[in-house]
Amino acid sequence: MSAPLLEVRDLRTHFFTREGVVRAVDGVSLSVDRGRTLGLVGESGCGKSVTALSIIGLIPKPPARIVGGEVIFDGRDLTKLSERELEDVRGERIAMIFQDPMTSLNPTLTIETQLVETIRRHNDVSKREARRRGIELLDEVGIPNPDARIRDYPHHLSGGMRQRVMIAIALSCEPDLLIADEPTTALDVTVQAQVLDLLDELRREHDMAMIVITHDMGVIAEVADQVAVMYAGQIVEQASAVELFARPEHPYTEALLGALPQLEDAASRAGRLTAIPGRPPSLLDPPEGCRFAARCPYAGEPDGCAEHPPELRELRPGHLVRSEHPASERARSREGAPA
Amino acid sequence: MSALLEVRDLVKRFPVKRGLFFERTVDYVDAVAGVSFDIAAGETLGLVGESGSGKSTTGFCVLQLMRPTSGSVRFEGRELTELSGEELRRVRRNAQIVFQDPYSSLDPRMTVGNIVAEPLVVHGVGTRRDRRARVRELLDVVGFDPMYVNRYPHEFSGGQRQRIGIARALALSPRLIVCDEPVSALDVSIQAQIINLLKDLQAEFGLAYLFIAHDLAVVRSVSDRIAVMHRGRIVESGPAKQVYEHPQVAYTKALLASVPVPDPGRMQERKAERRRLQGAVAM
Amino acid sequence: MSTTPHQRRALLSPLRLRRERRYPELPNGVPGEAGTPVRASSLWRDAWYRYIRNRAAVIAGVAFLALLAYCLVWPLVSPYDPYEVDFSQASESPSLAHPFGTDQFGRDLFTRTALGGRVSIGIGFAATLVILSIGVAYGAIAGFLGGFVDNTLMRILDALYGLPYLPFAIIVLAIFGGGNFWTMVVALSIASWFTTARIVRGQIITLKENDYVRAAHAVGARWLRVLGRHLLPNTLGVLVIAVFLELPGVILGEAFLSFIGLGISPPDASWGSMAQDGYRAYRTSPHIIIVPSVAIAYLILCANFIADGLRDALDPRTRET
Repeated sequence: MSAPLLEVRDLRTHFFTREGVVRAVDGVSLSVDRGRTLGLVGESGCGKSVTALSIIGLIPKPPARIVGGEVIFDGRDLTKLSERELEDVRGERIAMIFQDPMTSLNPTLTIETQLVETIRRHNDVSKREARRRGIELLDEVGIPNPDARIRDYPHHLSGGMRQRVMIAIALSCEPDLLIADEPTTALDVTVQAQVLDLLDELRREHDMAMIVITHDMGVIAEVADQVAVMYAGQIVEQASAVELFARPEHPYTEALLGALPQLEDAASRAGRLTAIPGRPPSLLDPPEGCRFAARCPYAGEPDGCAEHPPELRELRPGHLVRSEHPASERARSREGAPA
Repeated sequence: MSALLEVRDLVKRFPVKRGLFFERTVDYVDAVAGVSFDIAAGETLGLVGESGSGKSTTGFCVLQLMRPTSGSVRFEGRELTELSGEELRRVRRNAQIVFQDPYSSLDPRMTVGNIVAEPLVVHGVGTRRDRRARVRELLDVVGFDPMYVNRYPHEFSGGQRQRIGIARALALSPRLIVCDEPVSALDVSIQAQIINLLKDLQAEFGLAYLFIAHDLAVVRSVSDRIAVMHRGRIVESGPAKQVYEHPQVAYTKALLASVPVPDPGRMQERKAERRRLQGAVAM
Repeated sequence: MSTTPHQRRALLSPLRLRRERRYPELPNGVPGEAGTPVRASSLWRDAWYRYIRNRAAVIAGVAFLALLAYCLVWPLVSPYDPYEVDFSQASESPSLAHPFGTDQFGRDLFTRTALGGRVSIGIGFAATLVILSIGVAYGAIAGFLGGFVDNTLMRILDALYGLPYLPFAIIVLAIFGGGNFWTMVVALSIASWFTTARIVRGQIITLKENDYVRAAHAVGARWLRVLGRHLLPNTLGVLVIAVFLELPGVILGEAFLSFIGLGISPPDASWGSMAQDGYRAYRTSPHIIIVPSVAIAYLILCANFIADGLRDALDPRTRET
């Protein structure tokens, strides 16, 4: 097997604020293979967006700073590159789309201007050629009547259409890696499904790798091959999508899936959801041991996981967990010592 | 027995205004275009729809926070659309609302205690001392530590703020609460806590909910009956099980097929289903 | 219909809610959210922290307080009588005995400047308060009622905007027949409240869209309560900023009117009237005009920097981080 396209090792991004150091990303390691999709899932404030911004060097500095780790993209460590070199990487190799397409598009310029500008920045082509390519791209992302739409301003388009335009702009440089930060959160559910299907299709056609960042377990299940679950600045579980949803190991992942209301569960009206008590710890002063210990139903046994931080370990080939109480080991210990 | 709330042919029309000096009305849009439904005491009606479908406007019109253009809203047998301000004030004791955004629904300049006490003060319920006791009790009911009554809302997280909003809605012991997207701004784990709380309160106090949301899975987990809204109209309604398992209308089918389900194994199957239904949803 | 006795009992009876934990969201009892800094302070204290981070604003604030202290205290402890005419010491240049020198009548300018500062700053704040009161009342009514009333009030305001403020002030002074403290206040505020009214109206309209205002209506609050308890308190931050934004204009206006001889009449002094005194002798004793001019500039500079710091501290829209 060849080396992964992107490998992040022990990345640490901290925010230096008046109140103290916020450890937003605290030792994240992950890798993305060519042409595959990694889903990065977690609740708000868990550091998933900061992880993505750190990868492409777009964190706000100050107050944020990458204090450790490396980001190896195609053999080069991005954290060591100059701002100039990073810009080239961002324009030609890695593209990113955000949650709100309205704020990422310039409202005073037409789609054409923005699209042509991006295409010409990275390719030595004439204006006419760039325009032709732009229309092609709009067509590819499923915008009907693209030669008319290209003259529109962003506010003429619906939210779903704007996100499609963003995707077209991102695709214009034929990136090897597309990072999508909550790409469908602002969209209606029917539009969300269309955009997700589109992203998946494009990934396959262009042999592009993707990182999809979301808080929605359902979205992850739709698009991701590999899934990394983040909690309080760390990755707590990583596995293939099929494996993760079928056999979640970390108590947090289990609880998250349990807390999800089920669309197809007729009994749910009568019952209760399995809520997770409490809320994530402050990253200003994270607990010393396992960060999930305070909310974990299995912590508190005399194993010291609240004091000693558990390492991310490989439970099965390809299935990493950061917990002293993964589901399979709990099951085994129950069998081993029947009460 | 008649229903607690009966809504018939509700219409809310918004003018489209233009003008240089004095604005003139040039056109109208019907945000709600003839909606009818009933809610019995102690029951939850889930109102689902995408953004712009008119579901929130419907909720506001039911409570007369917006005056409907036409149609009838009967609550406890009284026609709310005909009530004057003072009569309406009295009805408000029995019909309350919980908002979507836990950040804009609490006045940043008021303490938690004053926010929850406001309905009591406004209706002159009890003495100062009674009210203080009641506020503590209400906060306790919704799972918010009454120790923090003198703090300001911005010190608390979204979930806790939503609890404060629910305590305020409960203050006058209403019979109906309109829940306008009460959990859509919250993280999954907190969302489950709030949904459970709403269910507990319903079981305990026999509340009826008009539960407005865009998330079909959330709506299913709280609702007895479902009404699907699309472009100002209810396109399908019925018992939850029936609407979810045997949707009749193409729009409902497409909506259900679009919901991402946390099961990667069924991705292909659902994708094919979506493609089949694509025509039903206007883009 | 009021609450049924049954319902009331239900709520007041001991509660048997099934709960995972009693207060599920307060595991440590410490408010504070993951990812964001812990915020366990009131809004005003937050604002205070943001203010003291702005160094220019802090220096300006201290400088302003020092000026106030000088104006208030110095005339009481000064060895010189600010009104006593002594031609033997007329028009002396600054010296150790008279740090700012003396004027044509031999009065100590260090003492006269403090005295003039009292009048100038006093008129400045009084006129600003009048401007804010009228502006808030007008803007709040327009913004709160909306619709036709709002439209009418705002069109009237547009028309009033055309009035040039200085000629208007001069006419007022002419009608009242010359300058004392209160006629100056009226003259300076009568045509200056339009912008404040606009700001307050805009603020009220924005605030009206907040769900907490809707929530107040939903619990049955009457309009006076909605306005007084919810809308106006939330405009307070903007008003505090407005005080320091209005102040320079008003003080300059006062100085101008006094300078052209329509303001405070001798032997009382304001910085403007002192400058007028100095103007007659600007060749021979330039310090007499320089001292009050510098005082005016100093005050305006302070006010601008303070307003800037307050805006960063109080106006959430321009907040960083």
